[in-house]
Amino acid sequence: MNDLYSWIRDHLQALAASQALPQPFEYEFVINALLCALLIGPLLGVLGSMVMIKRMAFFSQSVGNAAMTGVAIGVLVGESYTSPYLSMFGFCLLFALTLKYTQHRTTLPNDTLIGVFLSISLAVGASLLLFVSAKINTHVMESVLFGSILAVDHTDMNVMLGVSAVCAVIGLPLYNAMLLASLNPSLAHARGVPVRVVEYLFVVLVTLVTVACLKIIGAVLVEALLLIPAAAARNISRSLPVLVSLAALIATFSCVVGILVPMQFYIPVPTGGAIVIVAALVFVLTTIIRASTARFRGASV
Amino acid sequence: MRGPALAFDNLSLKLGGTHVLDAVSFQVQAGALHCLVGPNGGGKTSLVRALLGQMPHTGSIRLDGGPSRPVGYVPQLADFDRNVPMTVYDVMALLGQRRPAFLGSSRAARAAHAEALQRTGVAGLGHRAFGSLSGGQRQRVLLAQAITPLPRLLILDEPTAGIDKPGLQLVESLVKELHERGVTILWINHDLEQVRRIAQSVTVLNQRVLFHGPGEQLPANWSSGDE
Repeated sequence: MNDLYSWIRDHLQALAASQALPQPFEYEFVINALLCALLIGPLLGVLGSMVMIKRMAFFSQSVGNAAMTGVAIGVLVGESYTSPYLSMFGFCLLFALTLKYTQHRTTLPNDTLIGVFLSISLAVGASLLLFVSAKINTHVMESVLFGSILAVDHTDMNVMLGVSAVCAVIGLPLYNAMLLASLNPSLAHARGVPVRVVEYLFVVLVTLVTVACLKIIGAVLVEALLLIPAAAARNISRSLPVLVSLAALIATFSCVVGILVPMQFYIPVPTGGAIVIVAALVFVLTTIIRASTARFRGASV
Repeated sequence: MRGPALAFDNLSLKLGGTHVLDAVSFQVQAGALHCLVGPNGGGKTSLVRALLGQMPHTGSIRLDGGPSRPVGYVPQLADFDRNVPMTVYDVMALLGQRRPAFLGSSRAARAAHAEALQRTGVAGLGHRAFGSLSGGQRQRVLLAQAITPLPRLLILDEPTAGIDKPGLQLVESLVKELHERGVTILWINHDLEQVRRIAQSVTVLNQRVLFHGPGEQLPANWSSGDE
């Protein structure tokens, strides 16, 4: 895959040198980040609309925050501190699956349970980070928290490609089952859907995408990019195909613009922040459209 | 007689320490139109949910063809979130096809969905937002999805709640037609007059089985207790 990345990069850099493309395309890290954005944008849109429908926004937030603990564990066990993927994937999957398992076996409200898990994870993460802080510089932690396109390398791109492939192979054939399992579990079961299994699979997919996005968006804001494009799309959608298409489009647009604009205009903001601000502006725009258009204002959806 | 399509044996179920079902045993014969009646809180919906694998229970439930075989099911309206931005066709696609619903439907699938909607009297509503429909219209859509494709067992959990009189007649004639085509029907029904008129067999349930027998033998002085 590295040859393919180099081939794409060389062509785009050549176009930028001949001024056919904006100046930021001259930089290797910008092209790396844009390739990641084009991969992950549609995925965030499809998955994000489902997270919104399934009312799992707080859940995805907690998984993103759990990644900080994963980074600390990675540094402790000697993984590369710039890409501790084994620890991040391992801890976040353990966190998410344990949370889901507990949800099925308690009468506590979901938000309460997620809050408890999130607090525990943050407490452990903060303690471990203080413990390992001597081994890493603060910029590494900053990039984990808020994202940094400077840190995106071929490993990150391969991880994102792998996660996208897994999501497509598992998520697309099971999309209807996953959605139905949350809309009406009894109806899903009547249709032969193994409700528990698809619920756990969805949790795994959300976790994989969340961790894969950390380098660009950051642990603090990753949930926003799952949720805001879907919420923005919902404002002006009355059908599922429109909702999902718009959410994918808005997520991809936000990533691309959020990466390019700060580079083009030398604005010193973290990538994650810029991407989420763009998505938030689109959300405001669609909210205004909904409020001012009878077609959407009158809809009960 | 083709034997039981559905058999509950000593089924017990508790919610919050309270018995909802206590040693319930009865059978529904294959091809029968069987009505389940009883007061609110009598355990009818819990029994259906146990049948659909959604309620932990003791005792056994035997479904002809095994538990993995899909059945047609019309849930109570309150169990379906109407705030999800989906059209009627989206709902039909979500329930009736393998292709992800957000990618739309094939022409053949769309034609089958349109035909089912026509049979339940809501043709022409396919592009309407599901959440914007009236209760009766939504119930008819849920009935349409349950008969696409034709199931061997159709479970109806109060499908006529919120439906107007023409709708009631349409649902009844549709159920009779499905029954004549060999579909086994388990219908939670509060309309005792209708039950006596159309049911081949009836089970009266109030935590325990109070009556099980032919529809016409349902005691004349029995009422559902919640009317």
